Amino acid sequence: METSFAITGKGYVIVAADTTAARSIVKMKTDEDKIKALGPHLLMAYSGEPGDTVQFAEYVERNIRLYQIRHHYSLRPSAAASWVRRSLAESLRSRHPYSVNLLLGGYDEASDEPKLYWIDYLGTMTEVPFGAHGYGSYFALSLLDRCVKKYLVISGALICHSRYHNPDATLEEGIETLKRCIDEVAKRLIVSPSKYKVKIVDKDGVREIEL
Amino acid sequence: MSIMENNGGSVIAMVGKECVAIACDLRLGNQALGVSSDFQKIFPVTDRIFLGLPGLGTDVTTLKELFRFRVNMYTIKEEREIEPETFAHLVSSTLYEHRFGPYFIEPVMAGLSKTPSGGFKPFIAATDLIGCLNFAKDFVVAGTASSKLFGVAEGLWEPDLEPEDLFETISQTIMNAVDRDAYSGWGCIVHVITKDQIVTRTLKARMD
Amino acid sequence: MLSVPHQQPNLHVQQAHGPQQRHFNPYTENGGTILAIAGKDFSVIAGDTRQSEGYSIQTRYAPKVFRLTDRAVLAVNGFAADGNMFVKKVRQRLEWYRHAHAKDMPLRAIARLIQTMLYARRFFPFYVYNILGGIEEDGTGAVYSFDPVGSYEREACRAAGAAQSLVQPFLDNQASTAKFSTSRTIPLTEELRSLSFSLSAELFLSGCYPIGNQTLVSSRPTVQTNPYQSARQPRMDNAIYHKWR
Repeated sequence: METSFAITGKGYVIVAADTTAARSIVKMKTDEDKIKALGPHLLMAYSGEPGDTVQFAEYVERNIRLYQIRHHYSLRPSAAASWVRRSLAESLRSRHPYSVNLLLGGYDEASDEPKLYWIDYLGTMTEVPFGAHGYGSYFALSLLDRCVKKYLVISGALICHSRYHNPDATLEEGIETLKRCIDEVAKRLIVSPSKYKVKIVDKDGVREIEL
Repeated sequence: MSIMENNGGSVIAMVGKECVAIACDLRLGNQALGVSSDFQKIFPVTDRIFLGLPGLGTDVTTLKELFRFRVNMYTIKEEREIEPETFAHLVSSTLYEHRFGPYFIEPVMAGLSKTPSGGFKPFIAATDLIGCLNFAKDFVVAGTASSKLFGVAEGLWEPDLEPEDLFETISQTIMNAVDRDAYSGWGCIVHVITKDQIVTRTLKARMD
Repeated sequence: MLSVPHQQPNLHVQQAHGPQQRHFNPYTENGGTILAIAGKDFSVIAGDTRQSEGYSIQTRYAPKVFRLTDRAVLAVNGFAADGNMFVKKVRQRLEWYRHAHAKDMPLRAIARLIQTMLYARRFFPFYVYNILGGIEEDGTGAVYSFDPVGSYEREACRAAGAAQSLVQPFLDNQASTAKFSTSRTIPLTEELRSLSFSLSAELFLSGCYPIGNQTLVSSRPTVQTNPYQSARQPRMDNAIYHKWR
């Protein structure tokens, strides 16, 4: 089943999405890229109704690009997220709503901060330190939660050297945490995806990595 | 499986002596799954009005943006800030515009309105999802924990509370109510509005 | 009284040829609210006395709080007929216990007995939420609450019935401001003891006023001087009764 996660760390956001395109019980394709780069510092992982997903993602991509061309600078992550959310919210009350869930990760060059937005097909949006969609979310979120609790207990004084999510983790630690999420889903979810595409956005822009 | 309970969340507002308080929880969920513990449902409208929007998550954001737009337009046209009573009617008529395909939100408002003598009078109000106004003299509640909020508020609230006592009352009310509601909680935010300041406090809550 | 779709004869028969189906709903909900608070060496058990069905009031005086022993009081809420029958059966078992052992059954044993009796009817349950209050063998005040099939727990305070969602968080609050939220009892002082009486009285008079009148019962033998003392035949305080009559 479709699964996507994203986690923030010190100066970066990692976005991961599985690569399967399925029709019913059949895997049609195992190298589908479900993460689009919407700009030099913006990533969007999309999942949901087949057909809607690519259609909506390309609509967003073109409009964000149009803004860039018109204004000679790109939207900041928060502004892009607001625009995407509004598109979904308006679509929800239209005749044919898009069923697309999104994770929007970006690096805000103005404030030097990584930003991550969780958006569902209804247009519900919230900024999160980590987020997930699909059945994988039930496993990944609880795993990533472990650290937030730890964090509250330790409360800043000690550097949270946790194997779970840590907003100040280095990129290497972040990737390790992501791997734990993927392994957990592989271990416990019956219909777990076999392959993931992983992309990173930080001050240097967007890039893809191999796990 | 009601739309109003899809994302969870609750808001309460209370009247005090020359002050008002409004509080909300911070949970955003997808049915039983918790997604965010930092989803505020109360937004400043003017220096003396706050608006709480519990209900469907997408409409919380949509209405927040819509009311910001409409209040800005009002301010520009009238060249003055909107009064709480007027704002309440703006909320009511905005919701009623969508009478047969509503926004799934039950707004709660709290503010201080100007009196002819130059003083300030506490004001609270709430509406249902199609804009039926309820101007209460004591407290108003909305959201998934509304019946629980009613029970505790009925027991704890008393007239003419000073700002600090009002803060304690509204905090105890919302914390104890959301602790018995599976769809609310995960932290709370309280705003106390007095004539010369607004005190905003975040309450640490149970996370289970 | 039982509610039957399309009233009149208690059996609803579909007027059709071929196989006939009969509907009979053996349950109804009679409204009302009960609550109990456990203290250090006492407990308070309260319940309103209105019995209703839908929007109709059947009576304003049908108590649902019953004295079982000198140290145990049982409040039953839900389907009144089941509640009354259940209390009758519990009392019978307690009498047999007295004959066999020449003493009253201890509270925690009564709690377990109630679980067994409720679970015995797992597939045709007594449609009743029970709250048992009283004094344990060690002298501490205790409250036990049950679901209709016998799951139970000892708690500091519990509300059940129509106004449960209003009353329970309020009781939680009163328990936690006494700083004993994690404990199963609220070690109340003498002043707080009377406060918890007026607390439950207030709940019924202000918060839950429309639901009906009140009956307050204490299982503590020393509170015989209290105006609400008459545990054997619970009666209302006249002042309060006249206020709302």
